[in-house]
Amino acid sequence: MGTDPIYERLREISWRRKLSSGEERELREWLAAHPEAQESFESEAGLTEALRKIPDVPIASNFTARVLQAVDQEAMAEARTKQARWKGWRRLPRWLPRVASSTVVVMAGFLAYLHNLHNNNVEANQHLVQRMAGVPLPSPEILTNFDAIRIVSATPAPDEQLLALFQ
Amino acid sequence: MSAEQDPDAALMLLVKQGDTAAFEQLVNKYKQPVMNIVYRMLRDATEAEDVAQNVFVQVYKSAGRYEVSSKFSTWLFTIARNLCLNELRRRSRHPADSMDMAHPEQEDQPWQQFEDKKTFSPPETLLHGELEEKIEEAMAELPENQRTAILLCRQNELSYEDIAKVLQCSLSATKSLIHRGRETLKQKLKPYLKTGAWRDPK
Repeated sequence: MGTDPIYERLREISWRRKLSSGEERELREWLAAHPEAQESFESEAGLTEALRKIPDVPIASNFTARVLQAVDQEAMAEARTKQARWKGWRRLPRWLPRVASSTVVVMAGFLAYLHNLHNNNVEANQHLVQRMAGVPLPSPEILTNFDAIRIVSATPAPDEQLLALFQ
Repeated sequence: MSAEQDPDAALMLLVKQGDTAAFEQLVNKYKQPVMNIVYRMLRDATEAEDVAQNVFVQVYKSAGRYEVSSKFSTWLFTIARNLCLNELRRRSRHPADSMDMAHPEQEDQPWQQFEDKKTFSPPETLLHGELEEKIEEAMAELPENQRTAILLCRQNELSYEDIAKVLQCSLSATKSLIHRGRETLKQKLKPYLKTGAWRDPK
């Protein structure tokens, strides 16, 4: 019963609004075929009716006027805040803009100096690379007997005693 | 959703341009449903009226950012619910803020001052019948999201999809919340529902 799509649909509709005549007819037909659901739907309908009859909460007669007054006050408070902010800017010490602009100039100078230093380094590196490109490298053929030359050149240490005798 | 489909959204676009008369129309149309929801969430008439008032102030303040992407009422009830949840959170953090507590800067002034609203009658005094009282009690005992879902169900213009947007959950979760809430209410109100007392005209 609880999962029957017709019952579910009609029950959900009845939670929100009164059933239309067509829906009521459909419900009556469905309940005739499922008499076991009669009691359940009656309690649903009873609760819906009960909820519909919950009385409205009383509101003060000047509610709207008070809302409009609160809105006006908010607008005025906002305007005051903006004005105070602007006044705050105007209250800044006179020397502050000068200090700020001087700081900007000094910072710009320092950045220009760093930029120049970097450019000089790049230029020096490029110059070195160009000069090195002009020097020819030795031919790889001289390396063919490299091992033999290294062994021959590795002579034993001089005989100190013999040298002393010659002297 | 366009402004042509939702007349309230069209009014809200006028509010965006600074039209106070359009705003007044919206306040007049929605003050009752907003108050109904807010009161039943907070269970305090004075706070409910302050929060309901704040809901509309927030609407006005946020008018500049308003986009017609969904129904105006969905947006409005979302603001109302969020403000109520903030209030409930504040209450849980400061459970016993006394109205007589001294102001920290002006010792001769109380911390909070409330207007003496002689025109306002708390709803408790208007709940004549036992049945109304019972259903209010049963509603108050429901979890917040179930209660809000059931109350929003009473707003004819809100579809289940709209209610789901206000509650920030899926459509199936919303229907489940309503179903569970209603089951609890049926259990608690069984004797009254069985007698069919609600259907009898008073």
